[in-house]
Amino acid sequence: MTQPTHHSDWETVIGLEIHVELNTKSKLFSSAPNRFGDEPNTNISEVCTGQPGALPVLNKEAVRKAVQFGCAINGKVAAFSKFDRKSYFYPDSPRNFQITQFDEPIVIGGTIIADVNDQEKSFAVNRVHLEDDAGMLKHFTSFTGVDYNRAGVPLIEIVSEPCIHSPAEAVAYCMAVKAILQYIDASDCNMEEGSLRVDANISVRKKGEQGLRPKIEIKNMNSFSNMHLAIEAEIRRQIWEYSHNTDKEIHEIIAQATYRWDPEKKETVMMRRKETADDYRYFPEPDLPPIVLTPAYIDKIRAELPELPRERERRYVEKLGLSHHSAFVITSDKPTADYFEKALEKCTNARALCNWITIEFAGRLKDTGLSLVSIGIEPDHLAKLVTMIDSGKITGRIAKAVADNMMESPGKDPEQIVAENPDYNPVHDTSEIEPLVDKILAENPQSIADFRAGRDKAFAFLVGQVMKLSRGKASPQVVNELLKKKIS
Amino acid sequence: MHRLSAIELRNSFLKGKFSAQEICRFYLNRAMKMDEQLGAFLSLFPEQAMERAKALDEKKASGQVMGKLAGLPIAIKDNIHIEGEITTCGSKFLSNYRAPFSSTVCRLIEKEDAIFIGKTNLDEFAMGSSTQDSAFQSTSNPWDLTCVPGGSSGGSAVAVAARMAPLALGSDTGGSVRQPASFCGIVGFKPTYGRVSRYGLVAYGSSLDQISPFATTVSDTALLMEVIGQHCEHDSTSLPIPGEDYLEGMNKNGLMGMRIGVPREFLEQLAEEPKKIFNDSLKKFQELGAQIVDIDLNILKYALAAYYIIATAEASTNLARFDGIRYGVRAPGAKTLEEIYTMSKEEGFGPEVKRRILLGTFVLSSGYQDAYYRKAQKVRTLIIEKYREAFKLCDLIATPVSPFAAFEKGSIKDPLQMYLEDIYTIPINLAGVPAISVPNGFTSDKKPVGIQLIGPQKADKRVLHAAYAWEQATPFHNAMPPLAQQEI
Repeated sequence: MTQPTHHSDWETVIGLEIHVELNTKSKLFSSAPNRFGDEPNTNISEVCTGQPGALPVLNKEAVRKAVQFGCAINGKVAAFSKFDRKSYFYPDSPRNFQITQFDEPIVIGGTIIADVNDQEKSFAVNRVHLEDDAGMLKHFTSFTGVDYNRAGVPLIEIVSEPCIHSPAEAVAYCMAVKAILQYIDASDCNMEEGSLRVDANISVRKKGEQGLRPKIEIKNMNSFSNMHLAIEAEIRRQIWEYSHNTDKEIHEIIAQATYRWDPEKKETVMMRRKETADDYRYFPEPDLPPIVLTPAYIDKIRAELPELPRERERRYVEKLGLSHHSAFVITSDKPTADYFEKALEKCTNARALCNWITIEFAGRLKDTGLSLVSIGIEPDHLAKLVTMIDSGKITGRIAKAVADNMMESPGKDPEQIVAENPDYNPVHDTSEIEPLVDKILAENPQSIADFRAGRDKAFAFLVGQVMKLSRGKASPQVVNELLKKKIS
Repeated sequence: MHRLSAIELRNSFLKGKFSAQEICRFYLNRAMKMDEQLGAFLSLFPEQAMERAKALDEKKASGQVMGKLAGLPIAIKDNIHIEGEITTCGSKFLSNYRAPFSSTVCRLIEKEDAIFIGKTNLDEFAMGSSTQDSAFQSTSNPWDLTCVPGGSSGGSAVAVAARMAPLALGSDTGGSVRQPASFCGIVGFKPTYGRVSRYGLVAYGSSLDQISPFATTVSDTALLMEVIGQHCEHDSTSLPIPGEDYLEGMNKNGLMGMRIGVPREFLEQLAEEPKKIFNDSLKKFQELGAQIVDIDLNILKYALAAYYIIATAEASTNLARFDGIRYGVRAPGAKTLEEIYTMSKEEGFGPEVKRRILLGTFVLSSGYQDAYYRKAQKVRTLIIEKYREAFKLCDLIATPVSPFAAFEKGSIKDPLQMYLEDIYTIPINLAGVPAISVPNGFTSDKKPVGIQLIGPQKADKRVLHAAYAWEQATPFHNAMPPLAQQEI
């Protein structure tokens, strides 16, 4: 596979199906709790295990969240939608049919606006429908068990149009979907725990070609970075196959199939071929009446939508003076944006706070799998850190060391960290700093001359030299004042 | 004691003429002795029932207000759950299945101080019209032991007809209560779809199934309906309306001024004797002050075909859960997942159940759905419309219950011929309207025949009141099978 990914003759077509577990209190059709990570088969009822005689009752909270999402993406919320039975046999399916929405989904159409390489792009959503999740198989050495805790958890499936053309677009689309879901509080969107699962349908075609070639479905991409790698690898594979099998018919080269991403091998691996279309024998679920929504119900939900990521991004740019890029980065994760807002209550320097969150701490947290929230660094403490820098109490260099300490002992007040460490207290005493200033001035007569000739850079150089000599401990304010006084 | 109606029996208990324990012992004893030749019960609960009777005697002694069904033994069709008891559905597959929860109807009945004395035989999964297609035993008609009692609720019908229980519950999907009531000379009432909760009834055809009472009189039927005809939040198809007082205002002039519709063309195929019996009853209606009007229900010639498509389509998915994974009998020889599925079904289900699963799977298959399932749904919609039109011209519709009286065991071998047994009862389930079977005399060979009165949606009270007037004006309900007459 030596061909370059972006072979200029080829065009990629991607459609995404995102399954999102809604964070309702109970399941879609029963009162059993909707909770992840508990002992197997503890959050179950007669409905979740498909007992004979059990009947489904629709969870209104799940309907509301699906409608909220529909409104948030400007989709058409259906006044009438219904559930259907989708038949297939597998032990994780307690009734051996899934209750889903086949031809009359709750949301039709919609638009996702995402940032792709700092460019705004909009993607079309085909439909959003409600359905229940399956249980999970657990394999042991001598047998296989089924855990039905997940069975019946409410899902929305968000189906995009085949309007996505690169791995970067696919990731941007998913990030935007995730942000909206978080802002309307519809899901935890935790890919590792499976509360947000993406299936990608990928095909490539020669540029200018009409119609689509056979598509490959990829499953098991449990992070955005894996997703990027998986789609990239699959595109590369398909182009390679077409380029090296020019003597064969298209459908002989790539046959419709399902692949999964193997993160170890870093390639897509075939799970099963789709020689014939599956026959799920869809028909209307007789145990559930259709969902009929009044315009008043839909309008109320639309009117009461919370602030959405794009709106918050705009507010940060307009009211807080953040750059478009910074505002996008900080708003694309709701918990981070909320963290930022909390910190803002105690410190008005929005740009500095944003930098500390999205660059300094993000960098420190990168390989931990944790976030500022989950590691336990309080927004108040971050606000204090920035305030100490702004007031000249600590230098930027000390602040970085303090940040390291905050990572080591989350929850500890940075003011206390500074107070306890003599190295972190900048020297304000003029009598201590003056000899250093004098020494630097004596060593750099040329810089003094340059400064007097009007070159500001020379002044900054002199400040830097003094700071260096003090090993970062001198108060930059005092250094500034002394230097100015002496050479002006 | 067995000559008393349920209401008389309850009143005797309330007045202190009999204790609940006396009543319970009497009926248990009768059931144990008589059922050897009848085969109505799959299980009897002597200990639990006597314990319950004792508790009821104590409750009464303590002066507490007693429920509507105080001290009354009741038999339950073995596809309706009583928590902790086995629910076999007449199937080998569920021979070990202990119900983990109680049906709504059983909870309501228990609350009104009735006593469950046993579970009754049925055609496997309620699929049949003879109660000969049970995996465990065949049930005999108390009027003629060589004949079938009708079905699928034949066990419950026989329990009441032979006075082994004053009341019983069956389920009616296409006539499974009305036809055995007619064959056994008792009252069977199928309420409006949604009037009685299906929660805890093992589903056959979900959009058609309705739990239905059996009794020897219309008043007793109305009493049981007052108890079970309640809205239920566990059944999404339950009508969102309060229960009704069916006994209130019941009087023998109930047919005065009623317009009774007769679909003459639909009844043309009727054989001589049943036709004569039916025509005589029309004269009787007129004598009782009713007016006979002709109505057009020619559409009903398609009802049987539509029914066997819709019912089996729903059944094929309802029964998919019986796969040997979670409960029921797993084929002991099965080694792989595929074998668990195929062998458990092969060994667990009888031929009629297999036939209907196959039929239902076929009519839902892609490529055939338009020709079968969808067309059947259209026919169903037309049937509903035609009934609605007919009820503009009349208050009730009268038809026979079945083309013939009880037939000899083993005399119908062709499944299609057996399906034709339900030609007059099936349209009612498709339309979801209420209908009652009340005794209407005997054939020349002394087999009971019923008449069916059908009302519009939700007019359950009208149907019961008309049936009461009919019953009071005719002697048939006083007839008791000879073998049941002796005091045991």
